[in-house]
Amino acid sequence: MPFEQTTNPDRQLAPAHAGKQEADVHLEIPPRIQVRNLNFWYGKHQALFDNNLDILPNRVTAIIGPSGCGKSTHIRVYNRIYKLYRDQHAEGEVLLDGQSIMGEVDFIELRRKIGMIFQRPTPFPMSVFENVAYGLRLHYRLSKSELADRVEKALDRAALWDEVKDKLNDPATALSGGQQQRLCIARAIAVEPEVLLMDEPTSAIDPLATAKIEELIESLKLSYTIVIVTHNLQQAARISDYTAFFYEGYIIEYGATKQIFTNPAKKQTENYITGRFG
Amino acid sequence: MIHRSEKARRASDGLVKIMSNLAALIGIVFLVWIIYVVLGRGIRAFNIDFFTRLPAPPGIEGGGVASAILGTLEIVILAAFMGIPAGILGGVYLAEFGKGNRFGASVRFATNVMMGIPSIIVGLFVYGLLVVTTGHFSGYAGATALAIIMLPIVARTTEDMLNLVPNELRESGLALGSPRWRMTLAIVFRAASSGLITGVLLAVARVSGETAPLLFTALNSPYWPTSLNQPTANLTVTIFNYAMSPYRDWQQTAWGASLLIMAAVLALNFTARMAFREARK
Repeated sequence: MPFEQTTNPDRQLAPAHAGKQEADVHLEIPPRIQVRNLNFWYGKHQALFDNNLDILPNRVTAIIGPSGCGKSTHIRVYNRIYKLYRDQHAEGEVLLDGQSIMGEVDFIELRRKIGMIFQRPTPFPMSVFENVAYGLRLHYRLSKSELADRVEKALDRAALWDEVKDKLNDPATALSGGQQQRLCIARAIAVEPEVLLMDEPTSAIDPLATAKIEELIESLKLSYTIVIVTHNLQQAARISDYTAFFYEGYIIEYGATKQIFTNPAKKQTENYITGRFG
Repeated sequence: MIHRSEKARRASDGLVKIMSNLAALIGIVFLVWIIYVVLGRGIRAFNIDFFTRLPAPPGIEGGGVASAILGTLEIVILAAFMGIPAGILGGVYLAEFGKGNRFGASVRFATNVMMGIPSIIVGLFVYGLLVVTTGHFSGYAGATALAIIMLPIVARTTEDMLNLVPNELRESGLALGSPRWRMTLAIVFRAASSGLITGVLLAVARVSGETAPLLFTALNSPYWPTSLNQPTANLTVTIFNYAMSPYRDWQQTAWGASLLIMAAVLALNFTARMAFREARK
Protein backbone atom coordinates (compact mmCIF):
# COMPACT_ATOMS: atom_id res chain seq x y z
CA MET A 1 0.00 0.00 0.00
CA PRO A 2 1.29 3.44 -0.88
CA PHE A 3 0.91 4.83 2.64
CA GLU A 4 3.17 2.28 4.24
CA GLN A 5 6.14 3.91 2.62
CA THR A 6 5.47 7.26 4.17
CA THR A 7 5.85 5.84 7.66
CA ASN A 8 8.98 3.95 6.78
CA PRO A 9 11.71 5.46 8.97
CA ASP A 10 14.36 4.89 6.37
CA ARG A 11 15.42 8.49 6.64
CA GLN A 12 18.94 8.33 5.28
CA LEU A 13 17.45 7.65 1.86
CA ALA A 14 16.15 11.19 1.79
CA PRO A 15 19.21 13.34 1.28
CA ALA A 16 19.13 17.05 1.77
CA HIS A 17 18.06 18.14 -1.67
CA ALA A 18 16.27 20.90 -3.44
CA GLY A 19 13.41 18.47 -3.89
CA LYS A 20 12.24 18.82 -0.33
CA GLN A 21 10.57 22.14 -0.07
CA GLU A 22 8.65 24.16 2.46
CA ALA A 23 5.68 22.17 3.65
CA ASP A 24 7.30 18.80 3.20
CA VAL A 25 10.70 19.59 4.63
CA HIS A 26 9.72 18.99 8.23
CA LEU A 27 7.89 15.79 7.34
CA GLU A 28 11.08 14.17 6.09
CA ILE A 29 9.18 11.90 3.78
CA PRO A 30 11.49 9.48 2.00
CA PRO A 31 11.16 10.07 -1.72
CA ARG A 32 9.41 7.43 -3.79
CA ILE A 33 11.76 7.93 -6.71
CA GLN A 34 15.32 9.21 -6.55
CA VAL A 35 17.18 10.11 -9.69
CA ARG A 36 20.96 10.49 -9.49
CA ASN A 37 23.25 11.66 -12.28
CA LEU A 38 20.97 10.42 -15.01
CA ASN A 39 22.31 10.81 -18.53
CA PHE A 40 20.50 9.68 -21.65
CA TRP A 41 21.43 9.18 -25.27
CA TYR A 42 19.52 8.72 -28.51
CA GLY A 43 22.27 7.03 -30.47
CA LYS A 44 25.16 9.48 -30.15
CA HIS A 45 22.97 12.44 -29.30
CA GLN A 46 22.87 13.14 -25.58
CA ALA A 47 19.41 14.21 -24.45
CA LEU A 48 19.70 14.32 -20.64
CA PHE A 49 22.60 15.67 -18.61
CA ASP A 50 23.20 14.75 -14.96
CA ASN A 51 19.57 14.84 -13.91
CA ASN A 52 18.97 14.70 -10.15
CA LEU A 53 15.45 14.61 -8.82
CA ASP A 54 13.50 13.37 -5.80
CA ILE A 55 9.86 12.51 -6.43
CA LEU A 56 7.82 12.54 -3.23
CA PRO A 57 5.06 10.02 -2.62
CA ASN A 58 1.42 11.05 -2.87
CA ARG A 59 2.30 14.30 -4.50
CA VAL A 60 1.85 15.49 -8.05
CA THR A 61 5.15 16.47 -9.59
CA ALA A 62 4.96 18.42 -12.82
CA ILE A 63 7.72 18.46 -15.38
CA ILE A 64 7.71 21.56 -17.55
CA GLY A 65 9.96 22.99 -20.21
CA PRO A 66 10.05 23.81 -23.90
CA SER A 67 9.62 21.13 -26.57
CA GLY A 68 12.57 18.80 -26.99
CA CYS A 69 14.07 19.59 -23.59
CA GLY A 70 13.96 15.99 -22.39
CA LYS A 71 10.82 15.95 -20.23
CA SER A 72 9.33 12.82 -21.78
CA THR A 73 12.74 11.23 -22.16
CA HIS A 74 13.29 11.69 -18.44
CA ILE A 75 10.14 9.93 -17.27
CA ARG A 76 10.52 7.21 -19.89
CA VAL A 77 13.55 6.05 -17.93
CA TYR A 78 11.47 5.38 -14.80
CA ASN A 79 9.67 2.40 -16.34
CA ARG A 80 12.54 1.54 -18.70
CA ILE A 81 10.18 1.80 -21.67
CA TYR A 82 12.98 3.35 -23.72
CA LYS A 83 14.47 -0.17 -23.79
CA LEU A 84 12.10 -1.00 -26.63
CA TYR A 85 14.44 0.95 -28.87
CA ARG A 86 17.85 -0.43 -29.58
CA ASP A 87 19.64 2.89 -30.06
CA GLN A 88 18.55 4.50 -26.78
CA HIS A 89 20.49 4.13 -23.58
CA ALA A 90 20.65 5.61 -20.12
CA GLU A 91 23.37 5.88 -17.50
CA GLY A 92 23.08 6.88 -13.87
CA GLU A 93 20.88 5.72 -11.05
CA VAL A 94 17.15 5.67 -10.51
CA LEU A 95 15.82 4.27 -7.24
CA LEU A 96 12.23 3.25 -6.59
CA ASP A 97 11.64 3.04 -2.82
CA GLY A 98 15.40 2.83 -2.40
CA GLN A 99 15.82 -0.05 -4.85
CA SER A 100 17.70 0.45 -8.09
CA ILE A 101 15.63 -0.02 -11.22
CA MET A 102 18.50 0.56 -13.63
CA GLY A 103 20.20 -2.84 -13.67
CA GLU A 104 18.78 -6.19 -14.60
CA VAL A 105 15.34 -5.70 -13.12
CA ASP A 106 12.10 -7.55 -13.74
CA PHE A 107 10.42 -5.19 -16.22
CA ILE A 108 7.09 -6.88 -15.73
CA GLU A 109 6.98 -6.17 -11.99
CA LEU A 110 8.59 -2.74 -12.42
CA ARG A 111 5.92 -1.73 -14.90
CA ARG A 112 3.18 -3.01 -12.64
CA LYS A 113 4.49 -0.65 -9.97
CA ILE A 114 5.02 2.24 -12.36
CA GLY A 115 2.13 2.84 -14.75
CA MET A 116 2.23 5.16 -17.72
CA ILE A 117 -0.31 7.27 -19.57
CA PHE A 118 0.59 8.52 -23.02
CA GLN A 119 -0.06 11.70 -24.93
CA ARG A 120 -2.54 10.17 -27.33
CA PRO A 121 -5.12 7.80 -25.84
CA THR A 122 -4.06 4.26 -26.71
CA PRO A 123 -7.08 1.97 -26.28
CA PHE A 124 -6.24 -1.61 -27.19
CA PRO A 125 -8.23 -3.04 -30.11
CA MET A 126 -10.64 -4.87 -27.83
CA SER A 127 -13.69 -4.18 -25.69
CA VAL A 128 -13.80 -1.61 -22.89
CA PHE A 129 -13.90 -4.42 -20.34
CA GLU A 130 -11.00 -6.32 -21.92
CA ASN A 131 -8.88 -3.18 -21.98
CA VAL A 132 -8.95 -2.99 -18.20
CA ALA A 133 -8.88 -6.76 -17.74
CA TYR A 134 -5.74 -7.08 -19.87
CA GLY A 135 -3.35 -5.80 -17.21
CA LEU A 136 -5.18 -7.62 -14.43
CA ARG A 137 -4.86 -10.92 -16.25
CA LEU A 138 -1.15 -10.31 -16.72
CA HIS A 139 -0.40 -9.86 -13.05
CA TYR A 140 -3.07 -11.68 -11.06
CA ARG A 141 -4.94 -14.95 -11.11
CA LEU A 142 -8.51 -13.88 -10.62
CA SER A 143 -11.84 -15.63 -10.82
CA LYS A 144 -14.38 -14.27 -13.27
CA SER A 145 -16.31 -12.41 -10.60
CA GLU A 146 -13.18 -10.99 -8.97
CA LEU A 147 -12.01 -9.81 -12.37
CA ALA A 148 -15.32 -8.12 -13.11
CA ASP A 149 -15.18 -6.56 -9.66
CA ARG A 150 -11.67 -5.16 -10.12
CA VAL A 151 -12.52 -3.84 -13.58
CA GLU A 152 -15.54 -2.03 -12.18
CA LYS A 153 -13.49 -0.57 -9.34
CA ALA A 154 -10.79 0.67 -11.69
CA LEU A 155 -13.33 2.25 -14.04
CA ASP A 156 -15.05 3.79 -11.05
CA ARG A 157 -11.84 5.33 -9.73
CA ALA A 158 -11.12 6.70 -13.18
CA ALA A 159 -14.55 8.39 -13.07
CA LEU A 160 -15.65 6.45 -16.12
CA TRP A 161 -17.91 3.71 -14.77
CA ASP A 162 -21.17 5.62 -15.09
CA GLU A 163 -20.43 6.48 -18.71
CA VAL A 164 -19.40 2.99 -19.86
CA LYS A 165 -21.25 0.55 -17.60
CA ASP A 166 -23.76 -0.18 -20.37
CA LYS A 167 -21.14 -0.56 -23.10
CA LEU A 168 -18.47 -2.70 -21.48
CA ASN A 169 -18.51 -5.03 -24.46
CA ASP A 170 -18.30 -2.31 -27.07
CA PRO A 171 -14.94 -1.72 -28.73
CA ALA A 172 -12.90 0.77 -26.73
CA THR A 173 -12.14 2.73 -29.88
CA ALA A 174 -15.81 3.75 -30.03
CA LEU A 175 -15.40 5.92 -26.91
CA SER A 176 -14.66 9.64 -27.16
CA GLY A 177 -11.06 10.82 -26.88
CA GLY A 178 -11.48 11.98 -23.29
CA GLN A 179 -13.19 8.73 -22.33
CA GLN A 180 -10.43 6.75 -24.02
CA GLN A 181 -7.81 8.60 -21.99
CA ARG A 182 -9.69 7.90 -18.75
CA LEU A 183 -9.95 4.27 -19.85
CA CYS A 184 -6.17 4.24 -20.18
CA ILE A 185 -5.92 5.65 -16.66
CA ALA A 186 -8.35 2.98 -15.41
CA ARG A 187 -6.27 0.34 -17.15
CA ALA A 188 -3.11 1.64 -15.50
CA ILE A 189 -4.52 1.90 -11.96
CA ALA A 190 -6.28 -1.48 -12.16
CA VAL A 191 -2.99 -3.25 -11.48
CA GLU A 192 -2.40 -1.11 -8.37
CA PRO A 193 0.77 0.73 -9.26
CA GLU A 194 2.63 2.99 -6.85
CA VAL A 195 3.56 5.59 -9.40
CA LEU A 196 1.67 6.99 -12.38
CA LEU A 197 3.70 8.62 -15.12
CA MET A 198 1.67 10.88 -17.37
CA ASP A 199 3.20 12.11 -20.59
CA GLU A 200 1.15 15.15 -21.62
CA PRO A 201 -2.06 13.25 -20.92
CA THR A 202 -4.40 16.07 -21.91
CA SER A 203 -2.66 17.56 -24.92
CA ALA A 204 -4.74 15.56 -27.40
CA ILE A 205 -8.16 16.08 -25.85
CA ASP A 206 -10.65 18.91 -25.51
CA PRO A 207 -10.84 21.36 -22.57
CA LEU A 208 -13.89 19.79 -20.92
CA ALA A 209 -12.32 16.33 -20.96
CA THR A 210 -9.10 17.92 -19.72
CA ALA A 211 -10.92 19.38 -16.72
CA LYS A 212 -12.27 15.92 -15.89
CA ILE A 213 -8.83 14.39 -16.05
CA GLU A 214 -7.35 17.13 -13.88
CA GLU A 215 -10.03 16.45 -11.27
CA LEU A 216 -9.19 12.79 -11.51
CA ILE A 217 -5.47 13.46 -10.96
CA GLU A 218 -6.36 15.46 -7.84
CA SER A 219 -8.27 12.49 -6.41
CA LEU A 220 -5.71 9.90 -7.48
CA LYS A 221 -2.83 11.58 -5.69
CA LEU A 222 -4.21 10.29 -2.38
CA SER A 223 -3.20 6.79 -3.42
CA TYR A 224 -0.50 7.27 -6.03
CA THR A 225 2.62 9.21 -6.73
CA ILE A 226 2.03 11.14 -9.92
CA VAL A 227 4.58 12.58 -12.30
CA ILE A 228 3.07 14.59 -15.12
CA VAL A 229 4.82 16.05 -18.12
CA THR A 230 2.92 19.04 -19.41
CA HIS A 231 3.25 21.83 -21.92
CA ASN A 232 0.46 23.67 -20.23
CA LEU A 233 1.87 25.92 -17.53
CA GLN A 234 -1.55 26.72 -16.09
CA GLN A 235 -2.16 23.02 -15.77
CA ALA A 236 1.12 22.53 -13.91
CA ALA A 237 0.25 25.41 -11.59
CA ARG A 238 -3.28 24.09 -11.01
CA ILE A 239 -2.62 20.46 -10.23
CA SER A 240 0.97 19.95 -9.11
CA ASP A 241 2.65 20.22 -5.72
CA TYR A 242 6.17 20.25 -7.11
CA THR A 243 7.52 21.43 -10.41
CA ALA A 244 10.74 20.64 -12.22
CA PHE A 245 11.83 22.94 -15.02
CA PHE A 246 13.82 21.23 -17.76
CA TYR A 247 15.86 23.03 -20.36
CA GLU A 248 18.01 21.40 -23.02
CA GLY A 249 18.34 18.20 -21.03
CA TYR A 250 19.25 19.85 -17.74
CA ILE A 251 17.04 20.23 -14.70
CA ILE A 252 17.33 23.97 -14.21
CA GLU A 253 15.16 24.28 -11.16
CA TYR A 254 13.06 22.04 -8.96
CA GLY A 255 10.88 23.08 -6.07
CA ALA A 256 7.41 23.60 -4.71
CA THR A 257 5.10 24.62 -7.53
CA LYS A 258 4.07 27.78 -5.70
CA GLN A 259 7.65 28.91 -5.36
CA ILE A 260 8.55 28.03 -8.96
CA PHE A 261 5.65 30.01 -10.32
CA THR A 262 5.79 33.00 -7.99
CA ASN A 263 9.43 33.31 -7.04
CA PRO A 264 11.71 31.28 -9.31
CA ALA A 265 15.35 31.21 -8.24
CA LYS A 266 16.76 30.98 -11.74
CA LYS A 267 16.52 33.54 -14.49
CA GLN A 268 15.80 30.86 -17.14
CA THR A 269 12.85 29.54 -15.15
CA GLU A 270 11.46 33.04 -14.82
CA ASN A 271 11.86 33.66 -18.55
CA TYR A 272 10.05 30.46 -19.42
CA ILE A 273 7.23 30.98 -16.98
CA THR A 274 6.65 34.53 -18.06
CA GLY A 275 6.54 33.39 -21.66
CA ARG A 276 9.76 34.92 -22.90
CA PHE A 277 10.71 31.67 -24.65
CA GLY A 278 9.51 28.14 -25.16
CA MET B 1 10.89 31.61 -63.99
CA ILE B 2 9.03 31.78 -67.24
CA HIS B 3 5.68 33.40 -66.88
CA ARG B 4 2.97 31.33 -68.44
CA SER B 5 -0.50 32.42 -69.30
CA GLU B 6 -3.45 30.88 -67.49
CA LYS B 7 -4.65 29.48 -70.80
CA ALA B 8 -1.45 27.50 -71.34
CA ARG B 9 -1.59 26.16 -67.80
CA ARG B 10 -5.17 25.04 -68.20
CA ALA B 11 -4.33 23.39 -71.51
CA SER B 12 -1.43 21.36 -70.12
CA ASP B 13 -3.50 20.46 -67.04
CA GLY B 14 -6.28 19.20 -69.31
CA LEU B 15 -3.87 17.25 -71.47
CA VAL B 16 -2.29 15.44 -68.52
CA LYS B 17 -5.73 14.67 -67.13
CA ILE B 18 -6.89 13.16 -70.42
CA MET B 19 -3.73 11.08 -70.81
CA SER B 20 -3.87 9.64 -67.30
CA ASN B 21 -7.58 8.86 -67.63
CA LEU B 22 -6.85 7.13 -70.90
CA ALA B 23 -4.06 5.07 -69.35
CA ALA B 24 -6.34 4.02 -66.50
CA LEU B 25 -9.02 3.10 -69.01
CA ILE B 26 -6.62 0.83 -70.93
CA GLY B 27 -6.02 -1.20 -67.76
CA ILE B 28 -9.73 -1.57 -67.09
CA VAL B 29 -10.52 -2.39 -70.73
CA PHE B 30 -8.23 -5.41 -70.69
CA LEU B 31 -9.61 -6.66 -67.39
CA VAL B 32 -13.19 -6.37 -68.62
CA TRP B 33 -12.25 -7.91 -71.96
CA ILE B 34 -10.59 -10.94 -70.33
CA ILE B 35 -13.52 -11.45 -67.98
CA TYR B 36 -15.96 -11.12 -70.91
CA VAL B 37 -14.17 -13.65 -73.12
CA VAL B 38 -13.47 -16.19 -70.37
CA LEU B 39 -16.99 -15.90 -69.02
CA GLY B 40 -18.57 -16.21 -72.48
CA ARG B 41 -16.55 -19.23 -73.49
CA GLY B 42 -16.16 -20.87 -70.11
CA ILE B 43 -19.77 -20.81 -69.01
CA ARG B 44 -20.65 -23.24 -71.86
CA ALA B 45 -18.44 -25.88 -70.27
CA PHE B 46 -20.25 -25.66 -66.95
CA ASN B 47 -22.61 -28.54 -66.24
CA ILE B 48 -23.02 -31.14 -63.52
CA ASP B 49 -20.48 -33.47 -65.15
CA PHE B 50 -17.87 -30.71 -65.29
CA PHE B 51 -17.89 -30.43 -61.50
CA THR B 52 -18.42 -34.07 -60.56
CA ARG B 53 -16.74 -36.40 -63.09
CA LEU B 54 -13.22 -37.44 -63.92
CA PRO B 55 -11.71 -36.28 -67.21
CA ALA B 56 -12.85 -38.24 -70.25
CA PRO B 57 -10.73 -39.12 -73.26
CA PRO B 58 -11.17 -36.80 -76.24
CA GLY B 59 -14.34 -37.41 -78.17
CA ILE B 60 -16.17 -39.06 -75.29
CA GLU B 61 -19.07 -37.14 -73.81
CA GLY B 62 -19.50 -36.27 -70.13
CA GLY B 63 -16.00 -35.77 -68.79
CA GLY B 64 -15.27 -33.29 -66.00
CA VAL B 65 -12.49 -31.77 -63.95
CA ALA B 66 -13.64 -32.83 -60.48
CA SER B 67 -10.27 -34.43 -59.75
CA ALA B 68 -8.44 -31.24 -60.77
CA ILE B 69 -10.70 -29.04 -58.61
CA LEU B 70 -10.08 -31.29 -55.63
CA GLY B 71 -6.36 -31.55 -56.36
CA THR B 72 -5.93 -27.79 -56.64
CA LEU B 73 -7.79 -27.32 -53.36
CA GLU B 74 -5.59 -29.90 -51.63
CA ILE B 75 -2.36 -28.47 -52.99
CA VAL B 76 -3.27 -24.84 -52.23
CA ILE B 77 -4.51 -25.66 -48.73
CA LEU B 78 -1.36 -27.62 -47.94
CA ALA B 79 0.77 -24.81 -49.39
CA ALA B 80 -1.12 -22.31 -47.21
CA PHE B 81 -0.46 -24.40 -44.11
CA MET B 82 3.25 -24.36 -44.88
CA GLY B 83 3.67 -20.86 -46.29
CA ILE B 84 1.37 -18.73 -44.13
CA PRO B 85 2.70 -19.53 -40.62
CA ALA B 86 6.29 -19.23 -41.79
CA GLY B 87 5.50 -16.03 -43.66
CA ILE B 88 3.67 -14.45 -40.73
CA LEU B 89 6.41 -15.34 -38.25
CA GLY B 90 9.01 -13.98 -40.67
CA GLY B 91 6.99 -10.77 -41.01
CA VAL B 92 6.78 -10.48 -37.22
CA TYR B 93 10.54 -10.81 -37.02
CA LEU B 94 11.03 -8.12 -39.67
CA ALA B 95 8.59 -5.67 -38.10
CA GLU B 96 9.16 -6.25 -34.39
CA PHE B 97 12.69 -7.50 -33.90
CA GLY B 98 14.64 -7.06 -37.13
CA LYS B 99 14.60 -3.27 -37.18
CA GLY B 100 17.91 -1.54 -37.58
CA ASN B 101 20.11 -4.62 -37.29
CA ARG B 102 22.09 -6.24 -40.03
CA PHE B 103 20.38 -9.64 -39.95
CA GLY B 104 16.97 -7.99 -40.28
CA ALA B 105 18.18 -5.95 -43.23
CA SER B 106 19.52 -9.02 -45.01
CA VAL B 107 16.31 -10.98 -44.38
CA ARG B 108 14.28 -8.07 -45.76
CA PHE B 109 16.51 -7.91 -48.83
CA ALA B 110 16.29 -11.67 -49.37
CA THR B 111 12.50 -11.51 -49.09
CA ASN B 112 12.34 -8.79 -51.73
CA VAL B 113 14.55 -10.80 -54.04
CA MET B 114 12.43 -13.90 -53.49
CA MET B 115 9.31 -11.98 -54.48
CA GLY B 116 10.91 -11.24 -57.82
CA ILE B 117 12.03 -14.79 -58.62
CA PRO B 118 10.06 -16.14 -61.61
CA SER B 119 7.74 -18.90 -60.43
CA ILE B 120 9.07 -21.33 -63.03
CA ILE B 121 12.47 -21.19 -61.31
CA VAL B 122 10.83 -22.06 -58.00
CA GLY B 123 9.24 -25.00 -59.82
CA LEU B 124 12.60 -26.16 -61.18
CA PHE B 125 14.18 -25.77 -57.75
CA VAL B 126 11.56 -27.96 -56.11
CA TYR B 127 11.85 -30.40 -59.02
CA GLY B 128 15.50 -30.84 -58.13
CA LEU B 129 14.75 -30.91 -54.42
CA LEU B 130 11.73 -33.22 -54.19
CA VAL B 131 10.99 -34.79 -57.57
CA VAL B 132 14.45 -35.96 -58.61
CA THR B 133 15.26 -37.21 -55.11
CA THR B 134 12.00 -39.15 -54.65
CA GLY B 135 11.91 -40.30 -58.26
CA HIS B 136 8.33 -39.18 -58.96
CA PHE B 137 6.14 -36.10 -59.28
CA SER B 138 3.88 -35.43 -56.31
CA GLY B 139 1.28 -33.11 -54.86
CA TYR B 140 3.63 -32.53 -51.93
CA ALA B 141 6.25 -31.13 -54.27
CA GLY B 142 3.58 -28.90 -55.85
CA ALA B 143 2.46 -27.62 -52.46
CA THR B 144 6.07 -26.97 -51.46
CA ALA B 145 6.66 -24.90 -54.61
CA LEU B 146 3.53 -22.85 -53.97
CA ALA B 147 4.49 -22.39 -50.30
CA ILE B 148 7.88 -21.02 -51.34
CA ILE B 149 6.13 -18.51 -53.58
CA MET B 150 3.71 -17.52 -50.79
CA LEU B 151 6.35 -17.12 -48.11
CA PRO B 152 7.87 -13.77 -49.16
CA ILE B 153 4.47 -12.30 -50.09
CA VAL B 154 3.01 -13.11 -46.69
CA ALA B 155 6.18 -12.00 -44.88
CA ARG B 156 6.30 -8.62 -46.58
CA THR B 157 2.59 -7.83 -46.24
CA THR B 158 2.75 -8.92 -42.59
CA GLU B 159 5.68 -6.59 -42.02
CA ASP B 160 3.90 -3.71 -43.76
CA MET B 161 0.70 -4.24 -41.81
CA LEU B 162 2.49 -4.48 -38.45
CA ASN B 163 4.40 -1.30 -39.30
CA LEU B 164 1.07 0.49 -39.58
CA VAL B 165 0.39 -0.20 -35.90
CA PRO B 166 1.51 2.89 -33.97
CA ASN B 167 4.40 2.45 -31.55
CA GLU B 168 2.36 4.07 -28.77
CA LEU B 169 0.17 0.98 -28.77
CA ARG B 170 3.19 -1.28 -28.29
CA GLU B 171 4.51 0.99 -25.57
CA SER B 172 1.20 1.02 -23.70
CA GLY B 173 1.11 -2.75 -23.76
CA LEU B 174 4.65 -2.98 -22.43
CA ALA B 175 4.04 -0.16 -19.92
CA LEU B 176 1.33 -2.31 -18.31
CA GLY B 177 3.93 -4.98 -17.67
CA SER B 178 3.12 -7.17 -20.64
CA PRO B 179 5.89 -9.44 -21.89
CA ARG B 180 6.79 -8.60 -25.44
CA TRP B 181 5.47 -11.78 -27.07
CA ARG B 182 2.13 -11.37 -25.36
CA MET B 183 1.88 -7.71 -26.33
CA THR B 184 2.62 -8.65 -29.94
CA LEU B 185 0.02 -11.42 -30.05
CA ALA B 186 -2.76 -9.80 -28.04
CA ILE B 187 -2.43 -6.18 -29.11
CA VAL B 188 -0.35 -5.68 -32.26
CA PHE B 189 -1.79 -8.69 -34.10
CA ARG B 190 -5.30 -7.71 -33.18
CA ALA B 191 -4.75 -4.14 -34.31
CA ALA B 192 -3.40 -5.39 -37.63
CA SER B 193 -5.70 -8.41 -37.99
CA SER B 194 -7.67 -7.35 -41.06
CA GLY B 195 -4.50 -6.30 -42.85
CA LEU B 196 -2.96 -9.68 -42.07
CA ILE B 197 -6.04 -11.50 -43.37
CA THR B 198 -5.92 -9.39 -46.53
CA GLY B 199 -2.28 -10.29 -47.10
CA VAL B 200 -2.93 -13.99 -46.60
CA LEU B 201 -5.93 -14.02 -48.94
CA LEU B 202 -4.03 -12.17 -51.65
CA ALA B 203 -1.13 -14.62 -51.35
CA VAL B 204 -3.54 -17.55 -51.67
CA ALA B 205 -5.17 -15.91 -54.68
CA ARG B 206 -1.78 -15.33 -56.23
CA VAL B 207 -0.58 -18.95 -55.97
CA SER B 208 -3.88 -20.60 -56.85
CA GLY B 209 -3.42 -19.39 -60.41
CA GLU B 210 0.21 -20.50 -60.74
CA THR B 211 0.94 -23.06 -63.45
CA ALA B 212 4.68 -23.09 -64.04
CA PRO B 213 5.73 -24.29 -60.58
CA LEU B 214 3.20 -27.14 -60.76
CA LEU B 215 4.33 -28.34 -64.19
CA PHE B 216 7.58 -29.63 -62.72
CA THR B 217 6.21 -30.78 -59.38
CA ALA B 218 2.60 -31.92 -59.11
CA LEU B 219 2.39 -32.48 -62.86
CA ASN B 220 -1.15 -33.72 -63.54
CA SER B 221 -3.16 -36.89 -63.33
CA PRO B 222 -6.40 -38.26 -64.75
CA TYR B 223 -7.29 -39.87 -61.40
CA TRP B 224 -8.75 -38.74 -58.10
CA PRO B 225 -6.11 -37.16 -55.82
CA THR B 226 -6.29 -39.90 -53.20
CA SER B 227 -2.74 -39.25 -52.05
CA LEU B 228 -0.51 -36.23 -52.48
CA ASN B 229 2.46 -38.57 -52.75
CA GLN B 230 1.82 -39.08 -56.46
CA PRO B 231 1.25 -36.87 -59.51
CA THR B 232 -1.80 -34.83 -58.61
CA ALA B 233 -4.53 -33.43 -60.83
CA ASN B 234 -4.87 -29.65 -60.71
CA LEU B 235 -6.74 -26.98 -62.63
CA THR B 236 -3.90 -24.87 -63.98
CA VAL B 237 -1.89 -27.69 -65.55
CA THR B 238 -5.18 -29.10 -66.86
CA ILE B 239 -5.83 -25.76 -68.57
CA PHE B 240 -2.30 -25.85 -69.97
CA ASN B 241 -2.66 -29.41 -71.34
CA TYR B 242 -6.23 -29.11 -72.63
CA ALA B 243 -5.80 -25.72 -74.24
CA MET B 244 -2.77 -26.98 -76.17
CA SER B 245 -4.58 -30.11 -77.31
CA PRO B 246 -6.17 -30.36 -80.76
CA TYR B 247 -9.51 -31.64 -79.41
CA ARG B 248 -12.48 -29.27 -79.32
CA ASP B 249 -14.09 -30.72 -76.22
CA TRP B 250 -10.84 -30.55 -74.28
CA GLN B 251 -10.37 -26.94 -75.34
CA GLN B 252 -13.90 -26.26 -74.15
CA THR B 253 -13.08 -27.84 -70.79
CA ALA B 254 -9.95 -25.65 -70.57
CA TRP B 255 -12.15 -22.55 -70.95
CA GLY B 256 -14.38 -23.83 -68.18
CA ALA B 257 -11.44 -24.48 -65.89
CA SER B 258 -10.11 -20.98 -66.67
CA LEU B 259 -13.41 -19.44 -65.69
CA LEU B 260 -13.44 -21.42 -62.46
CA ILE B 261 -9.94 -20.27 -61.45
CA MET B 262 -10.65 -16.70 -62.47
CA ALA B 263 -13.86 -16.60 -60.45
CA ALA B 264 -12.09 -18.05 -57.41
CA VAL B 265 -9.24 -15.52 -57.63
CA LEU B 266 -11.69 -12.63 -58.09
CA ALA B 267 -13.71 -13.84 -55.11
CA LEU B 268 -10.57 -14.03 -52.96
CA ASN B 269 -9.59 -10.51 -54.01
CA PHE B 270 -13.03 -9.13 -53.22
CA THR B 271 -13.04 -10.84 -49.83
CA ALA B 272 -9.60 -9.41 -49.11
CA ARG B 273 -10.72 -5.91 -50.03
CA MET B 274 -13.83 -6.19 -47.90
CA ALA B 275 -11.81 -7.42 -44.93
CA PHE B 276 -9.44 -4.48 -45.33
CA ARG B 277 -12.22 -1.95 -45.69
CA GLU B 278 -13.93 -3.34 -42.61
CA ALA B 279 -10.77 -2.68 -40.64
CA ARG B 280 -10.33 0.86 -41.93
CA LYS B 281 -13.55 1.85 -40.16
